[in-house]
Amino acid sequence: MKKWKVLSPLIVLALWQLLAGLGLLGKSTPTPVEVAQGIYQLTVTGFPPGYRLPGHIAASLGRVLLGFGMATLFAVPLGILMGWSPAFDNALDPLVEVVRPVPPLAWLPLALTWFGLGMFSSAFLIFLGAFFPIVLNTVSGVKSVDPYLVEAARTLGAGEATVLARVLAPAALPSIITGMRIGVGIGWMTVIAAEMVGVKSGYGLGYMILTARDVARFDYVVAGMVVIGVIGFLMDRLIKAAEKRVLRWR
Amino acid sequence: MRPSRALPAVIAVALAAFCAMALSLPLAGCGGEPQGTRVVRMGILRNDLHQVAYYIAREKGFFADEGLDVREGGAFSAGPEEMSAFSAGDLDMGYAGTAPVVTFAGQDMADVRIVAQANMEGSAIVVRNGLEAPDVESLKGRTIAVPGYSTVQDFLLRLALDKADVSEKDVSIIVVKPPEMIPALSAGQVDAAVVWEPYPSMVAAQKAGRVLVTSDEIWPHHPCCMLVADAGFLRENPDTVRRVVAAHVRATEYINENELEAADMAHLFTGQPNDVARAAMKNIEFSFRPRPEGIERYVEFLKDNGVIKVDSPGAFTRALVDTAFLPGGGS
Repeated sequence: MKKWKVLSPLIVLALWQLLAGLGLLGKSTPTPVEVAQGIYQLTVTGFPPGYRLPGHIAASLGRVLLGFGMATLFAVPLGILMGWSPAFDNALDPLVEVVRPVPPLAWLPLALTWFGLGMFSSAFLIFLGAFFPIVLNTVSGVKSVDPYLVEAARTLGAGEATVLARVLAPAALPSIITGMRIGVGIGWMTVIAAEMVGVKSGYGLGYMILTARDVARFDYVVAGMVVIGVIGFLMDRLIKAAEKRVLRWR
Repeated sequence: MRPSRALPAVIAVALAAFCAMALSLPLAGCGGEPQGTRVVRMGILRNDLHQVAYYIAREKGFFADEGLDVREGGAFSAGPEEMSAFSAGDLDMGYAGTAPVVTFAGQDMADVRIVAQANMEGSAIVVRNGLEAPDVESLKGRTIAVPGYSTVQDFLLRLALDKADVSEKDVSIIVVKPPEMIPALSAGQVDAAVVWEPYPSMVAAQKAGRVLVTSDEIWPHHPCCMLVADAGFLRENPDTVRRVVAAHVRATEYINENELEAADMAHLFTGQPNDVARAAMKNIEFSFRPRPEGIERYVEFLKDNGVIKVDSPGAFTRALVDTAFLPGGGS
């Protein structure tokens, strides 16, 4: 079955090349070969000319890591509190559920007013994308901890703080990590909206994609999409690998 | 609900949605030039003042007088999406800015012809409050926002800097989309911005800054918005295109003869406050006859920047602009 891991992307690529090569996907759809050339040109010449791919990757990676890092930092403790205390849950759940469906792009003008042009407004939009999956998964992770475990810890004389830190948090860790995996994915999905705010440095994958769209360079648009996909995939694998190490006790 | 019961319901909803979608599809692809009322799928830019002729022709019945049923084929927030809709065959004609029309046509991404101008000029360099900047020269060392890489505004800025003997290296040019320019100026995140109306007038009305120089001072009669037609539609329906152009010409003349009324209608069309619409329209030259030399100059700029690859900007422009439908015919 493992061969399908390699075969399925190859089949998709071949189909894409065939359909786009025959012009069946519309004028604007580049073929995989053109996209590969696009990635090469982005690396060598850059787009806009002079702004090369490594710079775009570094800029977006920085924004995503900042937004995602802040989201994790705030969402995990909040989720643990909400999962642990019904009072917290009742108070915060409606708020979370009202804000959660709002598309990050809608926050754009406010983000600009609050944080100005640059790193922080971009990171804020990515934060919004990543925050909610982490909170919700943490809450459900904590809630699903076996109550007997908590009881047993209390019987053995553990205080609330110890129960929280030594029982609930570790038991909820698999859920939290799942939330982080979803969160980082949504963080990358938000990167175009985030870089629509205006990019001071002239670097960013989302910014590059928007600029390429403006001048009808769809090979660069798809090249940017592919690069984002690959980085997102690698980050997911990284978290998965970390999960294996952290959860060795399981 | 158990999955076995839920499934038929889900399928029913999906089918209903599909049928609703199919029914709402526009009546496209009518073969040959039809008799009677002619349907035109028109693309427009959302909230854009430059194409107020479209709104006036519609509201004053100029389209109807020509036996046309002009339907909004799409209201786009930006020109590139509109050009993509052209290449997908979803639009017959449309109002769009010079930059998306030329860049898409120059890369064979959309097969369109410019059949009339909608307006010229109508952009400005604005500076934030508190910035001591009496002229373009004093923008040295400052951060200046443009709405997009290689747009007409980007070109205007480079022309203005060149005129003032300021090297591009002495300023920091960044891309900020027009709606975000106002908060960026207010917060002092950028010192200046080059943008089309109504944004300069909005900046002034919201006291976020002031107009430093209008684009007519930088490049007189520079191209801005235009009326374009899909090349295939033009071939098959030349008489329909002629009628649309006639209504557009009549509306453009109406704007120039009834400035205040046109501004009030622009206010209704774009939702801009009345005073903003009036101030903005004063800065726009409404004119229906394209100036190919202006378009060619911009094509050269795009070519020099490697955005489009055309052998001869002159020949490319002559093929792109089709003035045969304007009063008096060819150029």
